[in-house]
Amino acid sequence: MKTDDLIRALAADTLPEAHVSGRLWLVLMPALAVALAALWLTLGFRPDLVQAIGNPVSLMRWVLTGALALVSMRIALVLARPEGRRVVRLWPLALVAGAALAMLTWAYVTTPAEGRQMATVGKTIWTCLVAIPVLSVLPVGALFWALRRGATTAPALEGAAIGLAGSGAAAAVYATYCIEQSPLFYVSWYSLAIMGVTIVSSAIGARILRW
Amino acid sequence: MAGQMDDWGQLLAAANAGDARAYAQFLLAAAPILRGLVRARGGSLGEAGCEDVVQEVMLAVHLKRHTWDQSAPVRPWLYAIARYKVVDAFRARGRRIDLPIEDFVEVLPAVPDRDPTEAADMAKMIGMLDGRSEVIVRKIGLEGATMAETGLALQMSEGAVRVALHRALKTLAVLRQRHIE
Repeated sequence: MKTDDLIRALAADTLPEAHVSGRLWLVLMPALAVALAALWLTLGFRPDLVQAIGNPVSLMRWVLTGALALVSMRIALVLARPEGRRVVRLWPLALVAGAALAMLTWAYVTTPAEGRQMATVGKTIWTCLVAIPVLSVLPVGALFWALRRGATTAPALEGAAIGLAGSGAAAAVYATYCIEQSPLFYVSWYSLAIMGVTIVSSAIGARILRW
Repeated sequence: MAGQMDDWGQLLAAANAGDARAYAQFLLAAAPILRGLVRARGGSLGEAGCEDVVQEVMLAVHLKRHTWDQSAPVRPWLYAIARYKVVDAFRARGRRIDLPIEDFVEVLPAVPDRDPTEAADMAKMIGMLDGRSEVIVRKIGLEGATMAETGLALQMSEGAVRVALHRALKTLAVLRQRHIE
């Protein structure tokens, strides 16, 4: 086949393909809604949810996880473009990580020495470390589904961005249940759960985001 | 150079809005540049082998054209696709290739004339499509038939031909991928 013949066939195909970002929001929102409903049906929301949102220290868990999700989603969308690897800016991620670290340091300093261990260990480590990855499955899956239509030239990095975005959002969902008060708890264990999901997503991305 | 880039941007923007003529113009302009690059890098593949790679890149450009951000220049986008696919194609043929991006900028359309080479791979892939898809791609590509003519010949509506062609081209890429692995 001559290339000119191929070009004729390609040019005849004018059916438009939806933009990646449009598809992304279309599937991510239902995925998060289902995750939230699943959490409500199984663990339930924390009884003092309204007060928790009113308390700045507690509110930061939604601010941090939400910021992580939004920043990572933005990065994932840039990386979905073939030239994205060259133009992507990763520093906003460092900003979120820095804020989380600042929160952790602040909590460490302001918590009396004898209370630190209890505040860090809390009562729900395993619930947290299991629930966040489980709640991540749908949002991460939705992001993979949408971004497979993209054309990343850095599949492993794109997978990692998807993992951060999906598990960040899942952690924000989980926070509506989480009764632990201290940033010593939530920064430590949320981060660990998010990192686990990110590593797995990166490995998945390296396999399924090739084109 | 900047002027050329703007032209490409206009053509591709019109193409993504559904203008088949602008799209053909864009692809015809991009092909010699891609060919120049592939030949400069992969002379050992022979002319037909190089043309196989060029066609793989063209198909990828086609299937990923919606990933071009209209506010960004076309060339870096096009080169990134080409680079990714060329590396992929050489890897599939058992050759490692190091492809610095600068090479893409320096490459000039080495063969500005019409391409005389027949490439074999794409025809093989088209032969692996289901019967009706194969006929549609052949009629429109090789015979230059219009949608309406193809529809008439196959007793399909024009819209159905459009959808079938769209799917067939996607399938070609999947077949190609499987063929490589």
